[in-house]
Amino acid sequence: MAWLTDPLGAEFMQRALLEVALLAVPAGLLGTWVVLRRLAFFTHAAGSATFPGLVVAGPWGIPAQVAAFGAGLLYAGGLSALVRRARIAPDAATGLLLVAALAGGTILASDVYEAGAGVDRLLFGTLLGLDDADLAVSGAVAALALAASAALGRAWLAAGFDPAAARPLGVRAGATDSALLLAVAVAVVAVLPAVGALLVGTLLVVPAATARLLGRSVREVQLVAVLLALAEGVGGLLLAYHLDLPPGPAVAVLAGGAFAVAAATAVRR
Amino acid sequence: MSAVRAEHLAAGYRPGEPVLRDVEFAAEPGQTVAVLAPNGGGKTTLFRTLLGELTPMAGDFAVDGTVASVPQHDHARLDFPVTALDVALMGAYGRTPWWRRIARADRDAARDALDRGGLAAEAGRRYGALSGGQRRRATIARAIVQDARVLLLDEPFAGVDRASEERILAVLDELASEGRTLLVATHDVEQSRRWSRVLCLNRRQIAFGAPEETLTAPTLAQTYGDELVVLREPRMGLTIQHHDDRGEA
Amino acid sequence: MTLRDRALLEAVLLGAACGPLSVWLLAFRHAFAAESLSHAMLPGLAVAAAAGAPLLLGGAGGVLAAALLVALAARDRRIGGDTAIAVTVTALFGLGALLAIDARTPLADLLFGDLLGVTDADLIAAAVLAVAIPLALAAGHRALTAVAFSPAAAPALGIAPARTEAALLVLLAAAIVVAVQGLGNLLVLALLVAPGVAARAGGALRARLLIAAAVGAGSGALGVVASDRLGTAAGASVALVLVAAALIASGARTGGGGTPAAPAVRRSPIEALADRA
Repeated sequence: MAWLTDPLGAEFMQRALLEVALLAVPAGLLGTWVVLRRLAFFTHAAGSATFPGLVVAGPWGIPAQVAAFGAGLLYAGGLSALVRRARIAPDAATGLLLVAALAGGTILASDVYEAGAGVDRLLFGTLLGLDDADLAVSGAVAALALAASAALGRAWLAAGFDPAAARPLGVRAGATDSALLLAVAVAVVAVLPAVGALLVGTLLVVPAATARLLGRSVREVQLVAVLLALAEGVGGLLLAYHLDLPPGPAVAVLAGGAFAVAAATAVRR
Repeated sequence: MSAVRAEHLAAGYRPGEPVLRDVEFAAEPGQTVAVLAPNGGGKTTLFRTLLGELTPMAGDFAVDGTVASVPQHDHARLDFPVTALDVALMGAYGRTPWWRRIARADRDAARDALDRGGLAAEAGRRYGALSGGQRRRATIARAIVQDARVLLLDEPFAGVDRASEERILAVLDELASEGRTLLVATHDVEQSRRWSRVLCLNRRQIAFGAPEETLTAPTLAQTYGDELVVLREPRMGLTIQHHDDRGEA
Repeated sequence: MTLRDRALLEAVLLGAACGPLSVWLLAFRHAFAAESLSHAMLPGLAVAAAAGAPLLLGGAGGVLAAALLVALAARDRRIGGDTAIAVTVTALFGLGALLAIDARTPLADLLFGDLLGVTDADLIAAAVLAVAIPLALAAGHRALTAVAFSPAAAPALGIAPARTEAALLVLLAAAIVVAVQGLGNLLVLALLVAPGVAARAGGALRARLLIAAAVGAGSGALGVVASDRLGTAAGASVALVLVAAALIASGARTGGGGTPAAPAVRRSPIEALADRA
């Protein structure tokens, strides 16, 4: 029992657990839509794209979330321009932008701002080193995820299920889908402090993907995804605490393991 | 006030290159219009234009009321976690504001619509697990829930088993008798004789009118060209079925 | 040779080798596979680094494991191959980060490469790659062309599309294993995508293959020289030059000004994203 209660004594652990609990909401609610609407790789790439923003936030005196969001917007805009104007295939364009963001970020980090040592934390998260701003953002995004999912879930369902039929049904897919992309971008920014730029999928993709194998309706998938994200987050934190591991990667491996088990054993639904 | 009206309508996918021209017809409430066209003849283009997906390149069209689409190929995501009832319910999405839950009346309407198509027992089954004919009927149920004035059905009988075909025909007749207007794209020339009007297309409008006047040998020849096989005794015209998965454009 | 000269040589060799390969990867729409394989191999590198074994070995094991898992994941119909691959990449990234804790080589070097620390073995491997890949591509040119541009006709010519694609992926794996030492597993993607994109303006296929090799090698050289002058990380500099070359060449291709015609069919942004054409 001490194994469980010891960590709860430390203040940094309490914050971490609160963060995980708050983030489980967008992880489950929006993550389900990420998986259903085939946005997994977009989300993963968007996470990596925020890296340069995170690097310059400190030196430029901007809040990390704002800088990260700005970098994300640049990525989205760049992707749109490359695909529409330069006619580069979406996956190649994503690759180019991803690499540019990571290369640019590392040069900014080690050669311009000499924050070299901190790069690991930006890439893999600082779940055990959160401040009040991080928790506040997570709370806000949890609320946003609830509201958006309730208000726009039907539109997202219709547009995803049968895009050609959405318009005749009176669903304004252009606007609601843009809102989904925006919501995902905001969620990406929210999970950065916890899992880092390279592991946003740990919360926003993997639990929902696992839940997708287990749930039979959208509601079910969302519920299971929230619970899984919570369990994996807490489990990863405890492992990190006791075995002195970086928490973000620990959660990622737990989540991956859960997915593998579900994939191997779940009945075809 | 016609239910569907087109005037000098032209549409296409590349600027300056219409794949369909000179479409001019008017359909009244309660009428079923058979749309005959060879593959690549423009019927899917016409439907997409009437649905608002494609902007006309020339001319104009008007639809009085909501339009529902029953597409030919299932471009729907068959892996989605939605039941037949969920799909039928989508017909109510347009009239439910985002802050409200789906009304109880709409839920009942969805069950009724499924029942009309003989799918009452399948309401709780996953859409992707249904047979082709059952999925077609579920999509028609969606259009019924939408309470659409105009329904565009793109080859609703293609790849559908006999039982489903009978069911669908019955439902279509019911819908027309309710005052709705149906445009049914079909390759079955004989079937089109039972309906009020026929519209023949082959990259442009060849003819529009009552079946007796429209389904003449010359008109059919212009519509189908080489695809037409005419048997002299009894007087019948057949077309060769093309099960072309790519569809148009 | 100075460290900078060795880095320069490595970069040029890698660029020349991966350039033509990049053209084919784009033609076969394998950018996604390149992304996933190169990122998912991290655990292999980490294990080698932790055990003090040569990174080439770890890289090979990592890519093999990654390829197997990604192939398994891609076959899952229930959640879509793309999602399954994203799950695999995320989990393996995490695993790699965990395994790299006790590594002799710092994680940053595994991720971003250590161009200035290339060993003789790395240089030899790069030289072999720079010869082997163009040779292999030349030998398979007919098959590759057939499968990429007229897949329906290929079997009639006695060419098996599946085997050709598999062979291409094997070349991809080899390129990743060798190039990872110089650019790291996060940035190696630049070598595999940018030259092909830059060479699109080249017209005929053979011309594009040559242009891509030149762009690859040239960007490699320019990147190392720039990093030396500006004091920036070598691998990252090469990656940025590669991407810049691709973007500039693409900008020139659309021929300044002239917005593309709006698509005739209205689509939502998510549908446009999903269109891998």
